[in-house]
Amino acid sequence: MKLLEKASRIYLMASLLIYAAVGFAFYWIINFMIYDEVESRLMVEKQDFEAYVRSNDTWSNNSYFVENKIEVVPVYGKFKNEVAFTDTLISNRYDETADPFRQLTFYTLIGGSPYRVAIRKSMIESYKLIEAISVAMIAFLGLLLVSTFLFHRVLSGKLWKPFYDSLARIKDFDWTKNEPLETVRSEITEFNELGDVMEKMASKMQHDYRSLREFTENASHEIQTPLALINARVEQFIQSGDLGENHTYWIEEIYHAARRMSRLNQGLLLLAKIENQQFTEQEELDLSELALNKLKDFEDILQHKEIRVVVRSTGSFRKLMSPALADILLTNLINNAIRHNYPGGELRLESGADYVQVSNTGHALKSDPERLFERFKKESTGAESLGLGLAIVKQICENCDLRISYQYHEPIHAIRITE
Amino acid sequence: MKILVVEDEKGLAESITDYLSREGFVCEVANTFWQADEKISLYQYDCTIVDLTLPDGNGFDIIQTLKKIAAATGIIIISARNTLEDKLKGLEIGSDDYMTKPFHLSELNARVKSLIRRRNFGGNNDMTWKDIRVNLPARKVFIKDIETTLSKKEYDLLLYFLSNIDVALTKESIAEHLWGDNMDSADSLDMVYSHIKNLRRKIVEKGGKDYIQSIYGIGYKFTAP
Repeated sequence: MKLLEKASRIYLMASLLIYAAVGFAFYWIINFMIYDEVESRLMVEKQDFEAYVRSNDTWSNNSYFVENKIEVVPVYGKFKNEVAFTDTLISNRYDETADPFRQLTFYTLIGGSPYRVAIRKSMIESYKLIEAISVAMIAFLGLLLVSTFLFHRVLSGKLWKPFYDSLARIKDFDWTKNEPLETVRSEITEFNELGDVMEKMASKMQHDYRSLREFTENASHEIQTPLALINARVEQFIQSGDLGENHTYWIEEIYHAARRMSRLNQGLLLLAKIENQQFTEQEELDLSELALNKLKDFEDILQHKEIRVVVRSTGSFRKLMSPALADILLTNLINNAIRHNYPGGELRLESGADYVQVSNTGHALKSDPERLFERFKKESTGAESLGLGLAIVKQICENCDLRISYQYHEPIHAIRITE
Repeated sequence: MKILVVEDEKGLAESITDYLSREGFVCEVANTFWQADEKISLYQYDCTIVDLTLPDGNGFDIIQTLKKIAAATGIIIISARNTLEDKLKGLEIGSDDYMTKPFHLSELNARVKSLIRRRNFGGNNDMTWKDIRVNLPARKVFIKDIETTLSKKEYDLLLYFLSNIDVALTKESIAEHLWGDNMDSADSLDMVYSHIKNLRRKIVEKGGKDYIQSIYGIGYKFTAP
């Protein structure tokens, strides 16, 4: 939920509660005032009635008015001498409607015999007044509510605008580019402070990115150049001819070690580059198709190792990622499946709408499967293996929001890449 | 054939020139950006081998100047940088090839020759050595004028040998030439062996001599017996 919407909702709920409470209290106060007034008028009439009865000692019960009615009823037996106010409804003689009345009941002696006297006063006008006041109040409170709500929205929108603008810029910010992050300046100190902090962080990120990138480039150059020199010198030496068997053995060792070191160096630099997110270009790729094409590159070696290939595709796995990384990912997966296979084994490539799976026959793992994707985790055999292939696969998956999983059902090892 | 090698690592430049001189090329070396800049403005070269990272400048600038002065010169970049962007940029501004350090001198030699062939004859030429004749555009091989069908890898292997006559080629360099450096080296070395065997058999079957000589522990040499 957006900040503005959340604030508006809370504000609306709170206002509704407060306004309802205010309205109720207002209604109650008016009601109380009106009843108080009617009751004091009834008390005055009671005094009038008693004064009349005292001087005349009789009561002629003949007058009837809508507004006012005095009902005198003889009481037999004991009676409690009490005075009580009650609400009552009396049917209107003309309209056949029931009208509200406030009634004062008391007991008195007329000509020595007890009577119950009820003096009533119509509440029609008072109720109309209450209604009118209530309607007016609801209307005004509603209007107030709506207008303050709208005002609040517009004002907050204006106040938060620099924040949202800055947010959009931060979202668009790309630390691999050279452009600095510029947040939106405003009159609000907190936003400016936030902007300052973000700008500082962004420039630090760019700086780190650049220096790491430079480092990998320089390291690459500084290590590869001497290696190239060793290689070249060894090759020259090989050409010199008349080498003894001992010499060729040594030369081969040196040559081999230099090549190996160079590959290791390239692997580590590649890992550093992936970690540093230096592969920024992105394209929508069909990984299933790419894997199939990649498999063709390995035809020779598959034939040579007599590995059967089974391809099963139920859909194409499309993914937005760097083509270079996708290529490395698939090369390493297939390479791994071939390397740890045995002659006459099988390599399966399965793909669907949301996964690519490369599986191969192979001997059971000697080590913990959890550690399969760790650096320099060599499972076998060949000293040729650098132990970086699957670490690179994992790093690429992490960078491209792919999930990787490993399963072993004897004798099939399966590595699956999913969205 | 004149070749300019622009490389700041003196030992490497020396190895390259030594190797290419044996092949009959006339080589000159420039160890700095300014030396290279001067040389290309003074002399004509058939091919220039350029390192991208120089102490006093960028190899890309040399290529751009070279393209302006002598558009016909072939250019091969040799660099430790192996990013896709660098490769694309290099090819975009007019270089013909890109090799990542460390490379095999025999591979560099093969590429220089192939580049010069492409430049000079537009690729429309035959390559002949002893009784082997290769028609490059048609990718056809004749042994004693009898057409011989080779697989793609065998053809590439033969061309690699023909570019490096009398030169000891390591198994690694052959493997990398045929499959690139993505391949698993332990497995591809065995494959080199089986391809060599096939190529040797096909040449001998058609009446050619056994030109492929094994060098114990190192690799092979294509030479007249």
